[in-house]
Amino acid sequence: MTPPVLVFGEVHEGRVASASLEAIAVARELAGPSDPVIGFVAGSRGEAAAADFARFGVGRVLVAEDPRLDAAPVGAIAHAVTAAARSSGSSLLVAGGTTFGRELVGRLAVRWEAAVATGVTEATRVDGTLRVRRAIFGGRASETRRLEGERSAIAIRPHAFPPPVERPGALAIERVATGDLPASLMAPHRTEVKAPDRGAGPGLTDAAIVVSGGRGLRGPSEFHLVEDLAASLDAAVGASRAVTDAGWRPASFQVGQTGKAVSPQLYIAVGISGAIQHLVGMVSSRVIVAINSDAGAPIFKVADYGIVGDLFEIVPALTAEVRRARGR
Amino acid sequence: MEIVVCVKPIPEAETRLRVGADGTTFDAEGVKFVLAGYDESAVEQALLLKEAIPGSRVHVISAGPSPRTDEVLRASVALGCDLATCVDLSSANSAADPIAIARALASALATVPHDLVLCGKQAGDDEAGLVAPALGELLGVPDFGYVVDLRWDAARKLLKFQRWGESGLELWEAPTPCVIGLQQAWNDPRTAKLPAILKSRKAPIARAAPPAGPTSPSSRPERFELPPPRLGARLIEYKTPQEAAEKLVKLLREEAKVFP
Ligand SMILES: Cc1cc2nc3c(=O)[nH]c(=O)nc-3n(C[C@H](O)[C@H](O)[C@H](O)COP(=O)(O)OP(=O)(O)OC[C@H]3O[C@@H](n4cnc5c(N)ncnc54)[C@H](O)[C@@H]3O)c2cc1C
Repeated sequence: MTPPVLVFGEVHEGRVASASLEAIAVARELAGPSDPVIGFVAGSRGEAAAADFARFGVGRVLVAEDPRLDAAPVGAIAHAVTAAARSSGSSLLVAGGTTFGRELVGRLAVRWEAAVATGVTEATRVDGTLRVRRAIFGGRASETRRLEGERSAIAIRPHAFPPPVERPGALAIERVATGDLPASLMAPHRTEVKAPDRGAGPGLTDAAIVVSGGRGLRGPSEFHLVEDLAASLDAAVGASRAVTDAGWRPASFQVGQTGKAVSPQLYIAVGISGAIQHLVGMVSSRVIVAINSDAGAPIFKVADYGIVGDLFEIVPALTAEVRRARGR
Repeated sequence: MEIVVCVKPIPEAETRLRVGADGTTFDAEGVKFVLAGYDESAVEQALLLKEAIPGSRVHVISAGPSPRTDEVLRASVALGCDLATCVDLSSANSAADPIAIARALASALATVPHDLVLCGKQAGDDEAGLVAPALGELLGVPDFGYVVDLRWDAARKLLKFQRWGESGLELWEAPTPCVIGLQQAWNDPRTAKLPAILKSRKAPIARAAPPAGPTSPSSRPERFELPPPRLGARLIEYKTPQEAAEKLVKLLREEAKVFP
């Protein structure tokens, strides 16, 4: 029998994170026609979460149903994953671009002695040789790497692959033992989780769409124009440093060299001139739209679509049109 | 508290990237290497803890090709780090492999006291984010990435920190030792003063040998590519803002296929 390709499912509130499910298509592609793709989930609600795999055609799921793994550090999860990978005979693990997915493969590099890569945007396996492509330098370049060794673990980049297609099927759950978890790995304790703030954290760095505002907004009280447009698109909100330095919005909103690097499917820059320090944080976005009254603004050099005009007229019209087009 | 910060030299942000001679990596000729942005936040965090906990020391370690490493070690000393160690990985192969870097750091840590190890959660060159978790596994301690704001609860002898996880901002408590990967640009890193910069030029840098034995890289770069230059925006012609909005939505939906 050919070894299965293992997909790591990060579980939250009894559901597999959508970014983890993006890994299914990649695993299938790498598995080829004859190797099975199997899922892995951990925690006290593992069995419930396993159903999310079955919905997308992954019928065999390894479940480490263990309440100790509900709010455990990634090191403990890596223990459970390694045990599951060994018992399934798998030699390749694919994780989605969740925060734990990326850290997990780093732990597996040592624990499972796997060749690893994160932020993967393309992956191929030819004659057993796994090659991955990944964006580097904030998306200003890309590299192809060859993973060497008997085992590999990769984490894909969020939104780099199409969302999985529903293929509901039967579900066969296989319980896997977590085994001993070293006390040092179980000592940390998660005390609270606060809901994400749209303008910060992975909300901004991992969003599929980002709408950013610059000094062209004129002041903190006008910045809601950008936030309204973002809300209509279910997008995260970013800002130029001019905005965060002036205190119109917190520093967590800043995109650029000294802020966050983002690379969404769609980046809309509103009233942002396009200084190099801003550009390095967003040029790798797939599609860039610029709205600026100055046709000579450098942002138009990197944008795909531009509207030269007064943002105070364009942005409200755009928000209304987006709402209309989305039936809201 | 014995605090260790791991730092990486990376090309400064304004660098015009070029493909190197063998095509596998960038051309480092004439490139200025600086402290990685995430690492600046890690150094700042280390210094904040040192200021808050009497009797603490900050030891900065860099594993990479010397003399690039020495530049960022001196920059960290100028900011207030107490001790500096370089693990020279002049062999380009292992310097380009994040796991080999983690192994080199772990071997240096065998002789460096450490209650807490801080890193940037990733570096702005390879963007891998692998060093902190691999180091955690090598040291047999927990690691946490995406961390903003780390404090020491002296009464309970616990680290308290916030971390961006999948479901939001998570609050954690952890005893030492542990490895923490810091987010970038949340703590407004300080800048060094001129006298400190001048003094750091003479700061001693300890040299640690890279780990012995075969350092077979787990992944090897084969090709480095730059994206085709962007051609400039297609400007939308319109008479009213409504028309501009309608045209843009249509293009995003039908041509670019990125409309949600
Ligand atoms: C070391 C260093 C690091 C830096 N890091 C960053 C960083 O991380 N991120 C960052 O963003 N910047 C950074 N900067 C700052 C950067 O150089 C720019 O100053 C900043 O990006 C400018 O912000 P802006 O585009 O909002 O403002 P401006 O450059 O002032 O541009 C405002 C734009 O709004 C347009 N506008 C005005 N009114 C209207 C209107 N009614 N309708 C439509 N458009 C209008 C104008 O035409 C103009 O193009 C850094 C600078 C340095 C030196």
